[in-house]
Amino acid sequence: MAERGDRGGFGRGFGGRGGGEGGGRGRGRGERRGGRRGNKSEEEKWVPVTKLGRLVKSNNITSIEQIYLHSLPVKEHQIIDTLLKGLKDEVMKITPVQKQTRAGQRTRFKAFVVVGDGDGHVGLGVKCAKEVATAIRGAIILAKLSVIPVRRGYWGNKIGLPHTVPCKVTGKCGSVTVRMVPAPRGAGIVAARVPKKVLQFAGIEDVFTSSRGSTKTLGNFVKATFDCLMKTYGFLTPDFWTETRFSNSPYQQYTDLLSKPTTKALLPPTEEPLQAEA
Amino acid sequence: MGEVILAMPGQWAHDYREKADHYTSKIGGLPDWPDLDIPVSGKLLLCDFCGGKLCLVAQIYAPLSMAERSIDERVIYVLGCMKKDCGSNPQSWRVLRLQRCKQDIESKDEPLKAEQPEEESTSVAEDKPTSQSSSVKVCDDEDSDSDIDLDDLAQALEQAATLASNSKKQDGTKHTRKIVEGPVAKKLIDDLTTPVLPCFYIYSQRNSSEGRMDKANFVGGSSISLKEIEKSSGNESEGESWEGEAYEYDKALGADRTYLKFKKQLDAYPEQCFRYSYGGNALFPVANVPKLGACKICGSARRFELQLMPPLLYFLQEASDDSSNFSIDGWTWLTIIIFTCPKNCCSGTCDEKSSNSCRCIVEEEAIVIQDD
Repeated sequence: MAERGDRGGFGRGFGGRGGGEGGGRGRGRGERRGGRRGNKSEEEKWVPVTKLGRLVKSNNITSIEQIYLHSLPVKEHQIIDTLLKGLKDEVMKITPVQKQTRAGQRTRFKAFVVVGDGDGHVGLGVKCAKEVATAIRGAIILAKLSVIPVRRGYWGNKIGLPHTVPCKVTGKCGSVTVRMVPAPRGAGIVAARVPKKVLQFAGIEDVFTSSRGSTKTLGNFVKATFDCLMKTYGFLTPDFWTETRFSNSPYQQYTDLLSKPTTKALLPPTEEPLQAEA
Repeated sequence: MGEVILAMPGQWAHDYREKADHYTSKIGGLPDWPDLDIPVSGKLLLCDFCGGKLCLVAQIYAPLSMAERSIDERVIYVLGCMKKDCGSNPQSWRVLRLQRCKQDIESKDEPLKAEQPEEESTSVAEDKPTSQSSSVKVCDDEDSDSDIDLDDLAQALEQAATLASNSKKQDGTKHTRKIVEGPVAKKLIDDLTTPVLPCFYIYSQRNSSEGRMDKANFVGGSSISLKEIEKSSGNESEGESWEGEAYEYDKALGADRTYLKFKKQLDAYPEQCFRYSYGGNALFPVANVPKLGACKICGSARRFELQLMPPLLYFLQEASDDSSNFSIDGWTWLTIIIFTCPKNCCSGTCDEKSSNSCRCIVEEEAIVIQDD
């Protein structure tokens, strides 16, 4: 079979140099342009993968609301880390999940993590993995990728800051439906222990909740609460009746600015020796 | 065969137009054509969509050693168009495979040796062709290193000491400008009309997967310790038990399972510029894969060879902040996957009896672009 003898030769072009990994990288970093003289350790350096990530890294996008305004999908958790600094996370539950195989049972761990800053941004992440630590780390990353804005409003008088849900909203996951109803100040979060945590991270101070369905499946219960919070900004209230003024999405904004070719003349190569001698 | 070789970024070129040789793998700059019987035709260097000139995105030296023959002089050039609308259009990209299709080992040695004095090695990491021809069957680079280091080292030291005075790139910390006598920089290619991307060289690294991935995941920065978890799980009140949980695939609002697997591979080596795996499997960020055509010449189904990865765009963008005439902001691709003919055929104009230096340049068309 010809395939067995095939060896892609790109690596062979440089040979399996043992020192290639450490030496090359050190060489590369030292000489790299762009002033990478600051001592960034390998772990802290984020190389963005998506266009949105590149825009965030270069500080063209400073607030996460610009991302929400255009519904851009966030595919890198470092974007959220950069834009939302005060994000706290908490593990809600780690359950073992079992699968029956011919050789016995295979147990994996499922971690539920909620992240939030207590001021209108909350995210929920669920991850299964063979080890607990891996599951938690993975769930934190997934939670950061799913951070959503939460709209808050008033129950009655519009005095002070918004403290409750703007209107009655309901969310559903599986058989569980969760309904949130605006509450007056001082009522606190009237909910079961598990969704209460999510609502605290979201920054809602007062709310009445009511749930239906098999809330024993707490995974679905938590996801239903999260779905409910997602809908707070989807509800059309009379405040939004005015015409929307559309603005350019960050992709277009920065592409138009930078894609105009500048008419800078290139220095012809013959001029260099003159400069060197001068 | 299934192993993946990653291309990590190495040194920047002192000048983006500097000339290397066709044994160098690099990103950006101008293409280094080896001695060709017929020069590369202009049509191949123009964009199909807008008609403008293509710029070199990647030049990869990819020799092959197959069971029946080995092709040591095989270079792949990836050309792309920098205009606004051409970024995600597969028609605006072109991949050229240039190879010398002569299998005779003895006749190969002479032209290689003749080329040696012409070439200027740019970085110590780059292999000289003598090591290639002497170790066709056995990949034994330890011995060949001793042949090249002294010359190479001297040259590299000289170049490191004399900074090119025409460095256009400004950094935060300026290099001290030295007055230089004698040869300053490398030879420049005299071509001012083609758009040029910032140029840096590549070194290869094997993909050693599992250990790195766990380490990479740790970057997530957990503020939770295992003790807290045990404490919180003990706090459960009665009647509240998490029942009926089953395995769930990874999912986030903006990212699906396929993309998360792609990202996991990227996080293991966050600086990888492209992945090379001759005949291996490609890493798709999006689940649906378009159909590929067959090779135009021999009709066999094309096989995966390499794919360009997004950190490449990040490095190019960092370097070309405001100093270049063209910008790559129109490029929003996540990966560009290149498939080549498994038989490495060439257009039938060369036959067995023709002389040694018969180089063919073949256009590969199977490019799959998966967008952001």
